[in-house]
Amino acid sequence: MIQFWRVVTTGARNFTRNMWLSMAATAVMTVTLTIVLVSFISNSALTSTIKGVTNKIDVSVYLNDNITSDQLTGFENQLKADPNVVKVTYVSKAQALATYQSENANNQKLLQAISETDNPLPASLEIKTKDPKNLTSVIAIIGQPANAALQSDPPSYSGTNKVTIDRIVHAADFFKNGGTYASILFIIISVLIIFNTIRMAIFTRRDEIEIMKLVGATKWFIRGPFLVEAAMYGIIAAVIALILAYTLVLGGAPKLASYIDVTSTIQIFKDYPILVIGGELIIGIAIGCFSSLLAMSRYLKL
Amino acid sequence: MQHSCTPTQKTGLKNPANRTTHPVQCVKLERVMILFDRVTKTYPNQSTAISGMNLHIQPKEFVTIVGSSGAGKSTLIKLMTREEVHTSGKIIVGGLDYDTIGPKDVPQVRRRIGVVFQDFKLLPNRNVAENVAFAMEVSGTRNKEIKRAVPKMLQLVGLANKANNMPQELSGGERQRVAIARALIRQPKILIADEPTGNLDPKNAWEIIELLLKINRFGTTVLLTTHNKEIVNALKRRVITINRGRIIKDEEQGRYAL
Repeated sequence: MIQFWRVVTTGARNFTRNMWLSMAATAVMTVTLTIVLVSFISNSALTSTIKGVTNKIDVSVYLNDNITSDQLTGFENQLKADPNVVKVTYVSKAQALATYQSENANNQKLLQAISETDNPLPASLEIKTKDPKNLTSVIAIIGQPANAALQSDPPSYSGTNKVTIDRIVHAADFFKNGGTYASILFIIISVLIIFNTIRMAIFTRRDEIEIMKLVGATKWFIRGPFLVEAAMYGIIAAVIALILAYTLVLGGAPKLASYIDVTSTIQIFKDYPILVIGGELIIGIAIGCFSSLLAMSRYLKL
Repeated sequence: MQHSCTPTQKTGLKNPANRTTHPVQCVKLERVMILFDRVTKTYPNQSTAISGMNLHIQPKEFVTIVGSSGAGKSTLIKLMTREEVHTSGKIIVGGLDYDTIGPKDVPQVRRRIGVVFQDFKLLPNRNVAENVAFAMEVSGTRNKEIKRAVPKMLQLVGLANKANNMPQELSGGERQRVAIARALIRQPKILIADEPTGNLDPKNAWEIIELLLKINRFGTTVLLTTHNKEIVNALKRRVITINRGRIIKDEEQGRYAL
């Protein structure tokens, strides 16, 4: 135990002794860990955004307020009979209002506007189809005069937006892959920089290493401080990266919310802070220790 | 010097019958501090630094090893401290058969042997007391024990008043005393002094030799290598002369003859 403690304090002292080298290594590690974390955030945010986009209902039919339940069931059954229709969901006025309020939770003006009148939102039937590009049969059913009479507003279709949605999905994939590649690239850069930092530390401390051997230090007692030093780059960098990421995600979320779906990411950050913090620390320590071991296997002959 | 030749298990010698033709007298192992039995060391470049060397040094002896540069003195010491591994033969130091030790045991071996060098090998960023304490720190001695032992050791080598000085503030002789204190702090059975006076003026050199003699009187086996003729001749102790990896002379009250 006392040995472990001495190794840790020696490592920490060596970290401060080579302040400039340590700072450079820590800085590179910080950039890397920030990129890893941002890449993780944007991955999860983009994934849930895309899920939201692609799961969007294909056709919405808005219903008059005075529709009877017989009329509703009749209309619904007609739609369900169509082979292209996968699912028909009835959304009541109250549900529509609740959804609207939660979607615009950050926009006080809209919330206020809607609360000042009676619920102006219509009930609707949300139709999910097998093939959203081929809606002729569904449109025919909706367009029947008997059914058209039940509707308060013209129906909305997503089919026309399909191309745009596909493009968004592709762009998102591109960014997700880009994030992964950038993470890998910067991890490699960090490994190289830390490898060199530790290599130089081994050279500058070769007299000390010789003396340690001379007085009977075990191999791990000599190697330990170099591992501790490299792990410290990782730990300090992880802490900085986490502070940056938490500020970005929790502080910037309201502004980002209108562009991408960050709720699930925020949820991860809020619900599993230990997972996020621990994961980041482990990545940092792993990169540091791996590079250090690599440098020692090449340059520290014991 | 003649002892009965009872091979004990400790020796690990494979063929005791050969011992009769052995040039070195047969000695009971518990009476031997350092035993070399037909030891050869050949380096990877095929140069043979030690060839078929037989050597035994008893506990509490003070032995001087002389020989010109390249005679094999350094290799001899490196074999004892296990910096180098012998090619053939048998080495037993302090009852430990070097054929039975693995790389993991090497630190333990070095903790049993104190070594000082011509260039002192002190840590420049640690003060005198810390340099001495360093040898205890690496072996996991408790801080309390270190605090108790270091001042006593500094007292022994005559540096009690320099505990807080940095090595660069000391004279050469004082630095060598620090190195000796560090080598002795773990109470090794053997102290190897590899040209300890090489960088010192005659006065300081003699003070170091006197310190080594004092340590020897306290019961530590001392192995000294030196090029200093006056010192060897004045010591009147056992002198082993080596040349080309062989012992060419081994005298109880030897003189420097090269």
